[in-house]
Amino acid sequence: MMEKKRIVEEGLLEQYLIGDLPLDQQLEVEQLLEKDASLRKEYEQMEASFEALAFEQSITPPSEVKDQLKTVIEKKSSNTYQKFAFPIAAGLALLFGFSTFWMFTKWQSTETDLRNLQNQTSSLQSRIQSIEDSYQTVNANLENINNGQVIPVVLYGNQKAPGSRVVAYVNHDQKIVFVNPETLPPLPADKTYQMWSDVEGEMIDMGLLDSKKNLIELKYIEAAESLNITIEPAGGNDHPTVSELVSYVTL
Amino acid sequence: MIRNLDDIQLTKRVAEGDERALYQLYNKYSSAIYGVILRMCRDEDQAKDLLQETFVKIWKNIDGYDPEKGRFYTWAYRIARNTVLNSIRKQKNLIQTEDLGVYTNTEAEENPKDFTVLEGSLAQLEPHHQRAITLVYYMGHTHHEAHKVMDIPLGTFKSYIRQALKQLKAIYGRELILVWSFFEMMI
Repeated sequence: MMEKKRIVEEGLLEQYLIGDLPLDQQLEVEQLLEKDASLRKEYEQMEASFEALAFEQSITPPSEVKDQLKTVIEKKSSNTYQKFAFPIAAGLALLFGFSTFWMFTKWQSTETDLRNLQNQTSSLQSRIQSIEDSYQTVNANLENINNGQVIPVVLYGNQKAPGSRVVAYVNHDQKIVFVNPETLPPLPADKTYQMWSDVEGEMIDMGLLDSKKNLIELKYIEAAESLNITIEPAGGNDHPTVSELVSYVTL
Repeated sequence: MIRNLDDIQLTKRVAEGDERALYQLYNKYSSAIYGVILRMCRDEDQAKDLLQETFVKIWKNIDGYDPEKGRFYTWAYRIARNTVLNSIRKQKNLIQTEDLGVYTNTEAEENPKDFTVLEGSLAQLEPHHQRAITLVYYMGHTHHEAHKVMDIPLGTFKSYIRQALKQLKAIYGRELILVWSFFEMMI
């Protein structure tokens, strides 16, 4: 540590004032100035004199120096903004990247949703078509059995088909017959119901009855006197098996 | 003291990037610093550039200023002095002295131009004190260079400086209040 006396006598304070000391001595002077109030006061007076002297010897610089300084400083400030330009641009690019990715994901998800919707729409369309077809059929059936020219006839089942009520809708004008055989009891796979018309004592085949269906169109036979249902081998028979008569009605 | 507090505020604002605070410091100190620079380099065009360079350095290095260690002017003076000395060192045909000073023993103060004339309190000092102060404060010499310029032993030179400062302190002691009031009016 330097002695205060040495600092004063060797003029180190004066050298420190103008920045003329090597770094190690400069630091030692600074440490001593911090600790020694009287040395500090002496240095402050020296600084005051030094500054006062400078103002006495001052020379006003041309105004252009300040103008140039402003130009340089303001250019440097704008450079400072330029320093931030890259991080800002990078940040924006990153943000743009994320938002693009998000948009892409959203787009993909929307595509999937759209495909699902299209599939659903297509499924709905086919269901509507199917319902329309059913409606057409039902409507047509209703037309066939529910007009003024149709005569409904009921064939009650005997002991072979107790409780069954087969309805035959006969249209003599249009020469068509529809039968609802739903109430006939189910038969083994090798048997079937068959319907016959009695014309002058001869039984003429009208067709087979599938008891699973609710309305079947059969052949219209002219001048039929009665309608008869028998049980026959699967595929039907040429002649009715009279012993297997299930029901009949006289027209 | 109020002036110093003002300076501390201004340097804080400069550190925060306030250009107007720098221009206020410039308005206050540029003539004092220009007086030093012009006397050191003895060339008006160069002095203008060096004054600008000094304030650009102040702007860039303001974080290095610690008000606890001394006045703003002292700090700014050191920057100005180093700026001028570096510039002179870069010039061609420079003959360096052994201790890396920038002047030879004899050429330093020959034929000074009018703007190097010193005024005010300094003119009241004895000629050898005046010369010692001028060599160090206004010509940028180190003590080691200056004593050779004056052709006296280093110890004698240092005592000249010390005595000169003592006399200036006494003069300013008388004039201080008047001078500072004048500065306050200027600011």
